[in-house]
Amino acid sequence: MDYLSIALDCAQSLGAEYADIRIQKTKSELIYIEDMGLKHTNMSIIHGYGIRVLKNGSWGFAHSNTFTKHDVIKTVEQAMKVAEMSAKINNRKSFTLAYERGYIDTYSTKMEIDPFKVPLKEKVELMLEVNKTMLNYAKIRSVFFVLENVNDDKFFASSLGSRIHSNISHTYPRFEATAVNEKDSQPRMFDKGGNAAGWEYVLKMNLIDKAVQTAEEAIIKLEADEPGEIRRRDLILDPFNLGLTMHESVGHPTELDRVLGWEADYAGVSFATPEKLKNYRYGSDIVNFVGDNTLPYGLATAGYDDDGVPGQKWYIVKDGILNEYGTTRDTAPLIGENLSRGCSRATHYYDFPINRIPNLYLEPGKKPLSPQELISDTEDGIYIEGKRSFSIDQHRVNFQFSGDMFWEIKNGKIIRPLKDVLYKSNNPEFWNSCDAICDERYWKDYGVFGCGKGQPMQSSNMTHGASTSRFKNIRVGGSK
Amino acid sequence: MIKKQFQAAVNIIEKNCNADDFSIIIYRTDEQMIRYAQNKITQNMSGVKIVVNLSVAYGNKTGSATISSLDEKELIEMTETAQSIAKLNKEDPEFVKSAPRTLLPKTSNLSESTEKFTLNEIGNMIGEAVKNAEKKKIFVSGLVTKNLTDLFLKTKNGFEGYDRSSEFQHSMTLSDNKSKEAKVERSVKDVNDYLIEREIEQLNSRFDALTEPKKIEAGRYNVILRPQAVINFFSFLLNFFDRKNADYGVTAFHDSLGKNIFGKNFSLISNLDEKDLTASPFSGDGIPARNFDWIKNGVVKELYTDKSYAKKIGVKPNFIPNMIIRGGDATEEEMMKKVKNGLIINNFFYISPLSERKNEITGLTRDGIYYFENGKIKYSVNNLRFNEIIHRASKNILLLGKEYNISSYAKVPTMLIKDFTFTDTAAF
Repeated sequence: MDYLSIALDCAQSLGAEYADIRIQKTKSELIYIEDMGLKHTNMSIIHGYGIRVLKNGSWGFAHSNTFTKHDVIKTVEQAMKVAEMSAKINNRKSFTLAYERGYIDTYSTKMEIDPFKVPLKEKVELMLEVNKTMLNYAKIRSVFFVLENVNDDKFFASSLGSRIHSNISHTYPRFEATAVNEKDSQPRMFDKGGNAAGWEYVLKMNLIDKAVQTAEEAIIKLEADEPGEIRRRDLILDPFNLGLTMHESVGHPTELDRVLGWEADYAGVSFATPEKLKNYRYGSDIVNFVGDNTLPYGLATAGYDDDGVPGQKWYIVKDGILNEYGTTRDTAPLIGENLSRGCSRATHYYDFPINRIPNLYLEPGKKPLSPQELISDTEDGIYIEGKRSFSIDQHRVNFQFSGDMFWEIKNGKIIRPLKDVLYKSNNPEFWNSCDAICDERYWKDYGVFGCGKGQPMQSSNMTHGASTSRFKNIRVGGSK
Repeated sequence: MIKKQFQAAVNIIEKNCNADDFSIIIYRTDEQMIRYAQNKITQNMSGVKIVVNLSVAYGNKTGSATISSLDEKELIEMTETAQSIAKLNKEDPEFVKSAPRTLLPKTSNLSESTEKFTLNEIGNMIGEAVKNAEKKKIFVSGLVTKNLTDLFLKTKNGFEGYDRSSEFQHSMTLSDNKSKEAKVERSVKDVNDYLIEREIEQLNSRFDALTEPKKIEAGRYNVILRPQAVINFFSFLLNFFDRKNADYGVTAFHDSLGKNIFGKNFSLISNLDEKDLTASPFSGDGIPARNFDWIKNGVVKELYTDKSYAKKIGVKPNFIPNMIIRGGDATEEEMMKKVKNGLIINNFFYISPLSERKNEITGLTRDGIYYFENGKIKYSVNNLRFNEIIHRASKNILLLGKEYNISSYAKVPTMLIKDFTFTDTAAF
C-alpha cells in the first residue's frame, strides 16, 4: 500500500500548508566485549513512520509503528491536532519555510563489504583477539571493545512532490585499555571515529597492532608525570582531538536553531549571533571551516536531509571570518535566507527533525608542512592525541578540553609523555591563535557517533576532519 | 489491556523460541512532548513507542534482538534473529542465567491525574508561561512532557514483572537574551503536585534577583547549591560507583566498602517507601528493587554490582531504583548567615569526568549565580568553571536544607558547601 500518498493526501485534505512523511527502518548491530566477556550482542530494528505537518504556520508531529491505512490516517489527524494546538499558543508567530522543490531520487552509501553480512563469529573473534592482546600486559587491568554497525533505510515524501529513498550504512569500532597501579589508573582508547562505509573500513585498521600500541600507551601514561600548574604554552593537536574541539566550539555555535535561541532551555544558545555574519573574526586567516554534506564517507552524507533538501558544501568560516550557518527550512528564513543548507535531521522515525551540525572540517594548510616539522618548530609546547574530557559553556565561548595521549615538547623535540593534561581557552582566542596547519597529506577525518541534541535526546552522526595544527600561547596544565 | 497485549506478544515469542534460556522485556511509552522557545512552540509531538527485546542463550552462547513492534511476523523474525546470533556466537565465560521467579516489592508508580491530563491542559500551562514572559517583555523557552510507561519482563526461569508509571515534566528558562537567564525545572509522578503558578513565581523570583553580572575571579568559594545543582553534581558519582571498577583499582572506591570516604553528613540512599517518588520494582535484567543505603553518614555501604560480577565475587547484584540524598532543616537564609560570604548556584552545565581514579569532574555554573554577603544576596556574578573531587565536596558540607522532589525519581536538599573549587571564569 502506498502509505506515503495516503499520508500526504490526508494531510492536504485536512488543510496542511506543508506535510512530509518518513518511513524509516533503522537496523543496528551492537557488540560489546569487556575483559573477554561478551556483554552484549544485539541486533535492533526500529521501524515506523513519522508525519510532520505545518498548519496555521505551526508544526505538528505524530508517529506510529502500525502500518495500516487506518493508522496512517489516525497519525496524520493527531499531527494536525497538535499543530492546531501549537498555532493557538503561537498566535500569528508562524513559521515560513525556505524555498525548496520536490525531488525523485535515490541515494545509498558506497561500500565494499556489507558489515551485516560478515559472519558474527569473525567479528567476535577479532574483538576477542584485541581484548586478549591488551590483557596480555600485566598492568592492563580492564579492557573493552565496542562495535556498532548501522543501516538506515528511509522513504521520504513531501507535499512538494519529493519521493526520496535513501539507504545509509555506518560502521564504528573502538576499544580501550586501562592500566592500573597502586596510585593511579589511566585509560587509552583506540578511536578513529565512525565511517559511512562497510566492513572494509575495519579490516584496513590493523587492529591487533593498534591493540598493542593502545595497551603500551596506557602503561606509558600510567607512569608519566602530570603537567603541573596551568601556564601558557603552544599546543599541537592531532586531527582526532581537533575533531571534538571543532564539534563543540564551531559546529554547535553555528547551528542556526541554537543561534535563534531554540535550545535556550536545554543545550544553550550561541555567541555567534547573526549581526556577526561576514564580519566576526572567528579564527586566524588560515582558518577555513567547511560544511559539507556531500563528503565521501561522511556520516552526515545522506543525499538529502529530512526536509528533503539536497546535500551541499559551503564555508562556515572563510579566511577566519564567520561566513554562514548550518540551516534548515524553518530556521533559514528567520535570518533572511531564501534557501536551506540542508541540516535538518531526525535519528529515528519517532524523532522530530532538528537543526544538526553537518560534516564539518578544517581545510588543510596550503603550504607543505608535516606534523614532525611542526614539532621541530615548537620551543615549548604539548602535543595531544585523541579525545577524553570535554566541557563548554552554554554560549559556546569558554571551554576546557583534554586528550588521550600527551607529549611534552622542548626546543623542537618530544622529551617525555605526560598525563591528565587539560587546555582551557575560548572563542575567539583559540581559533585566532592557530598559526600553522599541516598540509593535505596529513588531513584525516573523524566520524562522531552519537552527538546528543534535542528533547527527547536524539543521537546523530557527522564527520569532522583536520590536519595536525598548532595553537600559540594557550593555557595548558593540570586540573587545578 | 496493555498488559494483555504484552502477554500475547510474549506467548508468540515463547511458542517460537527453543533456546535453553531467554529473557523478554517490553517497554511501551505513550508520550506527549512540546518544546517552546522565544515565546513560541517549535516542536509538538505525540505517539506511542514500543521496544521489545529478547535475550536468549544456548548453553553459554548468547544473543539478543530488539524490535519496535508487537506484530506477530516481526516478533517471530526477532526470535529467529536472537537465536541465530546465539548459535553463531562464541561462548560467554561470564554468562548468568535469566532471573528466577521472585517476589517483587509493591510500588505505586502511576498517577491517574497524570494519566488523564489532556493536551489542552498542557497547552494552557505553556500559555501561562508565555503570557508571563510577554508581560515582562522577555522570552521563555521550555519543555513539557507527559509520559505513561509500561514495562514487562518475563524469563524462562519464571521471573514475571509488570509496572506502569507516569511522569509529568516541565522546565522553563526565562531570558532577556542579553545577560540574564533563570530556569526552573521539575518532574513529578502526579501532575497535581505541579503548580504552574508556583513554578512561574519561583522563576520570576530567580530572574528578578539577577543584576548585570559583576566580574569575579576563579578560586575557592563557599557555595549554596540549589537542588538542581546538587542532583547534577552528586548524581555524576553514580558513573564511578561500579563495584568491578572499584575492585580493579580503576575508580577511587578501591577497598572502600565500610570506609568513611564521604563527609559525615552525606547519605545517599534508595527508598521504595517514598510515596511521591517512582521506583522501578525490578531492573531490566530482573533484579528486584529493595531499599539501599549506598552511602550512610559518609561511609560507603554498597557499590553498584551487575549480575555477572556479583556471581563472580559471590554477592547479591543490585541496581539503583531511585535516589535520595538525605537533607536537614536549614533554610537558605540560615545558610547565608552561616558563612561570611559565598555564591548561590542554581545549576551546573556540561559536567564531564576528569579522572575516575580521583573521582574528579568538571563543569560550569548556569541559570543564574548570585554573590551573597552578611546573610543577603548582593548581586549576580559571571559564570564559573569548577574542577572538583566529588567526595572532597561532600566532606565540606556545612548545612543541609529540606529534601526537595527535584524529579519523579530523586529527592535532594539544598546544600551549603565550603571551599568549592572554581578554576576558571566564563565570559558572561
